[in-house]
Amino acid sequence: MSYKPVLGRTWWLKNPAFKAYMLREATVLPLTFFILCMLAGIYSLLRGEASWLNWVAVMGNPLVLALNALALLASLYHAATFFVLFPRVMPIRLGDKKVPDNLIVAGQWAGVAGVFVLASWIFWGVL
Amino acid sequence: MTTNKQKVRRSDEPIWWALFSGGGVCFAVFVPAAIFFLALALPLGWVELDHTQALRAFGSMFAVVFAGAVIALPAFHAAHRIRHTLYDLKFAQRGLIKWGCYGLAAAASVYALGAWLLQLVS
Repeated sequence: MSYKPVLGRTWWLKNPAFKAYMLREATVLPLTFFILCMLAGIYSLLRGEASWLNWVAVMGNPLVLALNALALLASLYHAATFFVLFPRVMPIRLGDKKVPDNLIVAGQWAGVAGVFVLASWIFWGVL
Repeated sequence: MTTNKQKVRRSDEPIWWALFSGGGVCFAVFVPAAIFFLALALPLGWVELDHTQALRAFGSMFAVVFAGAVIALPAFHAAHRIRHTLYDLKFAQRGLIKWGCYGLAAAASVYALGAWLLQLVS
């Protein structure tokens, strides 16, 4: 027999930290669904108005809406885990003072909010 | 040192890592608003976007942010994570998984950015 340890497919189920890691990895699954929706949207947009209206209707299907709502939650979960890494990977110094970690994290959330404001301005102001 | 003619084997990993990382930033910063407005607010009727408006918006310079930061880079981010998760789940066909994942992300990127560019110049 071999003394070499063999890792099975379910190794990550044995520890809460590994499960959290896998959950974070899994955030890209609803993201992939959203990306496919957007590609379908571009295709429909370029085919003409009937096709575009049909795409909007399909996007309104409860299952599609639910998966995209999950994608929104996944993107925010990804953001929450990703933003806290920044001050650890790249600590910022101003003069000889270290910028507090939570200020850097808050700054990144301000960026997310800024994109929402910009998108609101585009949808409700420009179009 | 001067006569070393052996070819240096360079890893292609920095390319995938850079795309993954850029996609990670976009997934956190641009994608939440894009999902909210295009995949929830639009079909629920909270915002108006008819075909003419959508076509004009997609044909503008700024739509490169949509094609690049909402589709192309996040696609590579997803591809990288799916690749490594499949490795973590002990799937052995590493080459096939790698090129399958990045190939699909590349196809999505070429389609999105190509469609944008054609719309921009037309």
